[in-house]
Amino acid sequence: MKVSETMQAFLDTAPDWILNGPEWLNEFCYSFFKSFIHDSRWMQYVEGLGNTLLLTALALVLGLIIGIVISIIRVSWDNMHAELRPGVGKFVLRIANAISKIYLTVIRGTPVVVQIMIIFFVIMASSNNKILAGVIAFGMNSGAYVAEIIRSGIMSIDKGQMEAGRSLGFGYVATMRHIILPQAFKNVLPALVNEFIVLLKETAIAGYVGLTDLTRAANIVRGVAYVDFLPLLGVAVVYLILVLFFTWLMGKLERRLRVGNISKQMRSGNKKKEVAA
Amino acid sequence: MSEYIISAKNVQKYFNNGAIKALDGVSADIKRGEVVVVIGPSGSGKSTFLRCLNLLEVPTGGSVYVNGVDITDKKNNINVHRQKMGMVFQHFNLFPHKTILKNMTLAPMQLLKKSKEEAEAQAMKLLERVGLPDRADAYPHQLSGGQKQRIAIVRALCMDPEVMLFDEPTSALDPEMVGEVLEVMKQLAADGMTMVVVTHEMGFAREVGDRVIFMDEGKIVEMGTPQQIFDNPQAPRLKEFLSKVL
Repeated sequence: MKVSETMQAFLDTAPDWILNGPEWLNEFCYSFFKSFIHDSRWMQYVEGLGNTLLLTALALVLGLIIGIVISIIRVSWDNMHAELRPGVGKFVLRIANAISKIYLTVIRGTPVVVQIMIIFFVIMASSNNKILAGVIAFGMNSGAYVAEIIRSGIMSIDKGQMEAGRSLGFGYVATMRHIILPQAFKNVLPALVNEFIVLLKETAIAGYVGLTDLTRAANIVRGVAYVDFLPLLGVAVVYLILVLFFTWLMGKLERRLRVGNISKQMRSGNKKKEVAA
Repeated sequence: MSEYIISAKNVQKYFNNGAIKALDGVSADIKRGEVVVVIGPSGSGKSTFLRCLNLLEVPTGGSVYVNGVDITDKKNNINVHRQKMGMVFQHFNLFPHKTILKNMTLAPMQLLKKSKEEAEAQAMKLLERVGLPDRADAYPHQLSGGQKQRIAIVRALCMDPEVMLFDEPTSALDPEMVGEVLEVMKQLAADGMTMVVVTHEMGFAREVGDRVIFMDEGKIVEMGTPQQIFDNPQAPRLKEFLSKVL
């Protein structure tokens, strides 16, 4: 009987205990071989994973920057427009606030798939940089959600904090930076982590513009290996592990931030005990 | 340098486009080294008046001069003037994410460009003065109300202010903690600090105040020495007020 090249390769590599095993084991291992091992196909997943992580990391940074800027514009306008005297400053803030609101409405009101396609096929039509298009699309999309998360964090801080900072002589921006934002971030960290996880999973649609991320890698393998289940299952497992890992990491960070003051006190308490002993 | 450290001229503060007149033309001069106590029923505008002095509340009309400079004029940088005007709030407003020491050294290091050592040395000296040197590494939530307010006072003092503004500093405290805060304020007054104090503590006003201002409905109704105000009040509204609180 003539066997296919792939089958031949499988027969050559598989150990005897598999080949001599039951049929279901044979079938499963052949399918596994086609999905991950043959032609070093696992390399495609690794490459896709690299792109997914790169895309997520850069989009996260862009999203945070956009989110912080927009949230501060929105909060500043809401807090100060009644107090500000008419002038260039107020006019600029009014325009910035209006632009921010339009931005939030448009970004949150349209699907991210459509956004990334518009950015890649229309706005960046002359360029073929898929990663850049992905970073811009996901960064802008995430920025809109991050902005609202941070805005809620800033609004949750007692307004006495701003007054205390201002009364010491800090300017508005300096008070935001040293006093308001650190507290706001601590309060919204769980929501930000959630947004980060959503972003990580959302990048799975980057394949729509031909970016080979983790999901598209699985899709490509499906096309050449004629196996559906294992590539998709493998990719799902990788996403799940990533999410679990980042959740664990952020949980640690969060606990450190929250308990920071207590552990510090315990440390100084221990010191005193040592001195007493 | 002008004789008056703060000079408020016809200060007005309207809310809702003039429907509510929190301050309806208040003028007062604060001399260097003077302790001025502002009393009055709630809603009389005394806190609003105090907050107008460092522009936490921007007056609708009138001017506030600090060391002869009109701080309501947009050309003058309010942040520079606020550095010289310490403020203590009813609700302390310590920074909960920072230790006591960091609360105290943040502004001197950032704004006066003091070195960490210098700022911490000064902060520790002030903490000794209010009897809390062992709380330097604690966080605000670990302190009692009275301790928080004492820290809030020395945090303001770290900026070497020329004048201290107190906005009902004992109103949010348990009764048994009022004394320790007033004690710090008395000490401060004895050291010659210029102070403007909005308070309901009539004993403090009488004992420490050089001058007492009685406000009602956004206006200064009567102003004078503690003896004049408490022992020989003229205005009927003041008599009525004193009969209720004394």
